[in-house]
Amino acid sequence: MEIKIMKNILNRNQDKANEVRAIMKEKNITMINLISSPGSGKTTLLERICERITGHFRTGVIEGDVTTDRDAQRLKRFEIPIVVINTEGGCHLDSHSIYKVLDCFDLDNLDVLFVENVGNLVCPAAFDLGESFRLAIVSVPEGDDKPAKYPMLFRQARAIILNKIDLLHHTNFNLKNFIEDLRKINPSSPLFRVSCTKETGIVEFMEWLGKQIKKN
Amino acid sequence: MHELGVAENLASIVLEVAGNEKLTKVTKVNVSIGEMSQIVPDLLETAFQVTVAGTIAENAILEMEIIPVKLKCMDCNKEFELHENNFICESCGSQMVEIISGTEMFLKSIEGE
Repeated sequence: MEIKIMKNILNRNQDKANEVRAIMKEKNITMINLISSPGSGKTTLLERICERITGHFRTGVIEGDVTTDRDAQRLKRFEIPIVVINTEGGCHLDSHSIYKVLDCFDLDNLDVLFVENVGNLVCPAAFDLGESFRLAIVSVPEGDDKPAKYPMLFRQARAIILNKIDLLHHTNFNLKNFIEDLRKINPSSPLFRVSCTKETGIVEFMEWLGKQIKKN
Repeated sequence: MHELGVAENLASIVLEVAGNEKLTKVTKVNVSIGEMSQIVPDLLETAFQVTVAGTIAENAILEMEIIPVKLKCMDCNKEFELHENNFICESCGSQMVEIISGTEMFLKSIEGE
């Protein structure tokens, strides 16, 4: 016999993500899910953000890491609440892991919660965490074909950050092709060309980010 | 790589429904997988079989229907299939295009006795 079901396979994740989103809304917190490959500069971007954001917004960070707490160590100097989720080999964070650590934060004293997802362009895109929006970070040495190869992430992203722009002339990265591919997939989300180590393009990005947090 | 997580979620719904329906064996699981869900069918198949090993769904056939990405233009209402990652309306050139199918991962039905 056949039993009709018609159910989203990820419904458990989706239900919990909706719950997290409701909590964030009630507490008026903007939750931002940072997605990129390993080594594209998520943590360095967070360092640049934290240097500029404290004093304006009460900030917390959830660090998704496969095994270590090295990323969290790099953010320690900002003296903001940071919680590490070790996925123990898992390739993405899910909404249940986020929900479990919300207790570690004083949600009444938080304006923005950054979630640094596990470095991966495929899996994190499939799992809603309950975030307000996603940022896609990609870096020049990875090559200009990333939007074409991973359209889901670039389609969903509220903004795209092209990091390590200072290396552009040392690689065969074709900026024109990158932008053409990106705009076919996502015509409207802003693209920020930054170098987190040289601190170029950060001011423009921070201006935009501040507006998104206030708007939310 | 998220196929394992997807397979675990899938297996848990399958076994829950099978339990509620008092099935003793699940023979087939019918799912639809959107082309843009970035699932690799072979990996999902392997992950599913690993996950259901030792349960009443062991060796069940996982039948996957792959759903192409369909878009709808919010300006001219034209519906069209996605080609070469181009989300611009092929009819009027609008950027206001919505994905109407092709990202889903759905469990449609199970078969068993």
